[in-house]
Amino acid sequence: MDIFAKIKHFFVAGEEEKTTVKEPEKNEPPSLTHTIQEFEKSMDFVHRTYPQCNVDVIYLAFLVGNDQLFQEIIRPFTDVDEEEAKTVLCRSQYVAVVDSKECIEGILNGKAAIFFRGSTYLIDIAKPVGRSVEQSETETVISGPHDGFVENISQNLGVLRQRVKSSHLKFIKLEVGEVAKNVVVVAYIEGLANQEIVDELIRRIQRIEYNAVTDSNMLIQFIDENPNSIFPQFMTTERPDAIVSKLVAGRVAGFVDGSPSGFTCPTAFFDFFSSPDDYYQRWLIGTALRFLRLIGFLITISFTAFYVSVTTYHYEMIPHTMLLNLTESRAKVPFPPLLEALLMETTIELLREAGARLPTKVGQTIGIVGGIVIGQAAVQAGFTSNILIIAVATSAIASFVIPSYIMSASIRLIRFGLIIMAGILGNLGLLMAIGMVVIHLAGVTNMGTSYLTPLAPINFKDMLDTYIRGPFWALRSRPTIVKTPNKKINKMRK
Amino acid sequence: MNEKLSAFHIATLIYMIENNIVLFALPRLVAENMGTNGWVGYIFLALVSTGNILLYLVVYRMGKGRSMFDILEKSLSKWILYPVYAGLAVFYIMIASFVGKNFFLIFQMISFQTSNVMFIFLLFCIMVYFLLIKPVYNISKAATVFAFMTWWTLLLTSYQAREWKLIRLTSYFFEDPAGGQVLHNWAEVYTSFIGYELCIFLFPYVNKKSKLFKGVLYGHLLTALAQVIVLLTAFGFFSFQQLQSLLYPIIDMLDFIEMPFINRVENLVFVIFVFGNLISTTMFSFASLSMVKRIFPKTRPKRLEFLIVLGVFIVGFYSKYLSQSEYQLRRVLFTEIGIAFILPMLLILVLLFQKLRERMNSHEH
Repeated sequence: MDIFAKIKHFFVAGEEEKTTVKEPEKNEPPSLTHTIQEFEKSMDFVHRTYPQCNVDVIYLAFLVGNDQLFQEIIRPFTDVDEEEAKTVLCRSQYVAVVDSKECIEGILNGKAAIFFRGSTYLIDIAKPVGRSVEQSETETVISGPHDGFVENISQNLGVLRQRVKSSHLKFIKLEVGEVAKNVVVVAYIEGLANQEIVDELIRRIQRIEYNAVTDSNMLIQFIDENPNSIFPQFMTTERPDAIVSKLVAGRVAGFVDGSPSGFTCPTAFFDFFSSPDDYYQRWLIGTALRFLRLIGFLITISFTAFYVSVTTYHYEMIPHTMLLNLTESRAKVPFPPLLEALLMETTIELLREAGARLPTKVGQTIGIVGGIVIGQAAVQAGFTSNILIIAVATSAIASFVIPSYIMSASIRLIRFGLIIMAGILGNLGLLMAIGMVVIHLAGVTNMGTSYLTPLAPINFKDMLDTYIRGPFWALRSRPTIVKTPNKKINKMRK
Repeated sequence: MNEKLSAFHIATLIYMIENNIVLFALPRLVAENMGTNGWVGYIFLALVSTGNILLYLVVYRMGKGRSMFDILEKSLSKWILYPVYAGLAVFYIMIASFVGKNFFLIFQMISFQTSNVMFIFLLFCIMVYFLLIKPVYNISKAATVFAFMTWWTLLLTSYQAREWKLIRLTSYFFEDPAGGQVLHNWAEVYTSFIGYELCIFLFPYVNKKSKLFKGVLYGHLLTALAQVIVLLTAFGFFSFQQLQSLLYPIIDMLDFIEMPFINRVENLVFVIFVFGNLISTTMFSFASLSMVKRIFPKTRPKRLEFLIVLGVFIVGFYSKYLSQSEYQLRRVLFTEIGIAFILPMLLILVLLFQKLRERMNSHEH
């Protein structure tokens, strides 16, 4: 390509690449030999035969329950002839399958495949695997329901059904992961959720091409619109009451089998600062809590950066009563404020990560040791100033006020960028960095809705349930972000 | 782009374009050019600019929401229009650059005197680029957040209440302007309103529900209101002579504020106004981009935006000192005032001509 062609190619838009659509595979009828071949070399593979009635049964031993096996397979087919077996298989729980793929998937899901006179039937004899419902460790509650989701999707959906006793609550089952074939369920309340959003979510989940999707927090990264953004774009939670409140607000929820957290959409940035607990308190207390979290957010992102900016470039901003203390504590420190702050912030992050990875009892020890190292020794050794310790510790504490752990992690990382910019250009650098974050946020969308709602696009009604927790009598409409056909909150039109 | 701008966002966008660093010098500009109680004259100018906005409303109504380009290209040849577009594109790049650079030259009066201003300007241009590559709807969203970040600063004027004296306003009107009462002086104050004329570039991004001109008028009046509050505070806080001699009276006014945990808030408040200049620079670059895109419609995304921001950065080298920058800024803004009035009039003439021809054609048939 000559130079002019290259320049033209740089500026002028070409045709878009065409994508090809994979043709669906042809269905093959299930056969006993083919199914045996599929599962051979697997130690949990079981092949039972009942020669007197010409029935072959195949299942995976670890997935089935003994009671169910006895009830649905052993008892009905022991000591029966062919005609009686035929009558048994007429019962509605024995579902005939015509596709080999469906048969194998059924076995993988804990069903037994029954082969009889060239026909194949599936019967569900799966046993529930996993722990029982217990409190979430990542999202603790003071007042309000204490149960949390578990790894078993059926149990999670059962919990939802118990709380939303409505026939309008729909569960759509999907499958993702080329190898693992993880089950994903999309839940929504028909008539409240926007059908376009539901369809779009299903379309996006169906498009995922990956080996295995093992958690909700992993799944949402495949379906968000801004994969390179530092901010989470779907709300994930382990609390059923949180999911229920989102569903009745007209949002769509999703669950991945094997993951104890569900996700909801559409989500806006400020949704991450509210917690279901706010609704269990008096509205004034709930509002105060939300303000506290927003203040916490501001402190997290800017306090240490502001310290760096002031102590590097703007000493004149400090009132003289404070100035003496500050200069005295800074006098021993051999590093510039930027380096000092980065060192301390990294130490705090190390402590947090170590505390999170270690068993609870050892984690506490780390906390105490770290606290002493940071609080006392570092100052005495002239490694850092004690006012910075206050700044760093306050920022770290403030970051944990944010209810969403994933959002809190994102905000803590941005803080480093702000500190560096404050170290380079003082207050101007700090403001420019905040400006860059705002510019980025202005471009982020979730399921086609603005991430900055209700600030931009502005909606004063939605603000009543975002920045403050309005009294229940004032919360009369569902949030505009969900684009619900049923805007009024107290009644549901058919 | 599915989303259309709403009146509130247009208002904040216009507010942010108009309300930039000029605010810090405004009391001096008004005292110098209009004399005592110049704020009354300022209100008069606000009404004049409102009249100018109404001219754009006439264009919008007569042209049934068509963009400026569609109106012009229906009657005039592309061979005539394209050089005009190119000229205006370069002109808007110049305004964008001078407005942006001016902020940092003033900023260097407060701090970072020894830093290379072009390095700071480069960082600023990167911000402009990231804003410019977004659709105008997203620019307006960012402008809304920035507007919320600047509005609280108005509350600081209450801090001056204790020192505010009605007597300092004097009982005289428009006495003692530095260069006499001439149109040129009043035009200098008028430059603080420049920015509303960019509403003409928003025509393709609105529909009837957007209520474009409700937004533009509210944004404009909001700016005028904010600036009148600042002017009144400054006129009652400083004496008239002080106002005429202080280069940036608002910086000195902020200097006066002392809080238990923070002093010299001008260090913080002044830099917050970087967002005003950011939106102004971005929207003038956007105007330039609209022109260039009309000439080269089939370009890859983000390429033209890059070239325009590069242009803004390169033009930034031209103004080295504050006085030089102020002079250049004044010159381009005077030209822009001319364009702001002439452009809608020209468009109205073209639209009248088009209507006349349509009527004649229908008579012939």
